[in-house]
Amino acid sequence: MRRTLPPAILLAIGAYFGFVVAVAQFHGVTAFSLGLPSGVIATLAAGCGVAGAIWFLFANDQLDSWRPPQILIGLALLCLISGSYYGLFVAPPEQFMGDVQRIMYVHVPTAWNALLAMTLAFACAVIFLFRGDYKWDSRMEGSIESGVVLAFLLCCQGAIWAKPTWGVWWDWDPRLTTTAVLLFAFLGILALRKFVEDPARRAIWSAVATIIAYVDVPIVYFSVRWWNSLHQQQSSPGTVSKQFWLPLRLNAFGILFLMVAFIMLRARLASLRLKQEMAPPLPEMAELGEAV
Amino acid sequence: MSAGVVSGGWNFVIAAYAVTFSVLFIYGVSLVTRLREERSRANEEVNTK
Repeated sequence: MRRTLPPAILLAIGAYFGFVVAVAQFHGVTAFSLGLPSGVIATLAAGCGVAGAIWFLFANDQLDSWRPPQILIGLALLCLISGSYYGLFVAPPEQFMGDVQRIMYVHVPTAWNALLAMTLAFACAVIFLFRGDYKWDSRMEGSIESGVVLAFLLCCQGAIWAKPTWGVWWDWDPRLTTTAVLLFAFLGILALRKFVEDPARRAIWSAVATIIAYVDVPIVYFSVRWWNSLHQQQSSPGTVSKQFWLPLRLNAFGILFLMVAFIMLRARLASLRLKQEMAPPLPEMAELGEAV
Repeated sequence: MSAGVVSGGWNFVIAAYAVTFSVLFIYGVSLVTRLREERSRANEEVNTK
């Protein structure tokens, strides 16, 4: 109960401000927003949702049970199916981009969650370096791999959206370039982990590399403000039509739950491999070694 | 595109959604498979000991 109740309460608050208010506003009802401005509602939805999901991850990722990832995957499917339905068939087309803008409902949640996964990896790296507990190393490995998958997906979706709107699949624009750098930097850390056999060295080196690579995350975020970019600047709830909120938030939560489930499973895989690597040799082998 | 407005483009939308769900599905399946293999390997080693 202690493992699930506090994160479930946070997720329920996030779901209220993320979905209930958005569904009501989608249909023109404003009574559910409790008189709060749209920016505060979005912050509460995102903050409570992310905090609840991460709490659930850290409370359950060391358990040897399929139940927590199954719950997360079930919630993710529910959010993604309903979000995609609203995004593809219910939300109106955008004024200038028409139906192509519907790509936003998967592209933007992927971007948010890719950066969140990298941020989790950074936090795990820092905590590992301070505490030396290998469960943080496993969590870091899980976060990096999930972040790389999402960053790869982000580049693919971006290319598909760029072709009909910019006329090219790819451009060496600041946002796109810094995102590609981020993808390859974290891919490099995964490669580093594959090549280093000693678990202690591998954990320390990859934690340091993660902290260095993370410098690119704020650069990716602010690139559209710092330099002239083809990519549009970040929108806010005040600049996005209320009819776009619901599919965006449903898919954002869906990909968040899926990402947390992926990190949970990948961290367990890393823990299992680490246990085998650190297990003492069989008695016969040890005796053989001493004899040699 | 005409007068600064993108017309059509459903094929790109379908492609983006298809790529998204395919990549997420394939990665999820690969994770479950790898974890199952690792668990059975760990169990085998425990039984051998």
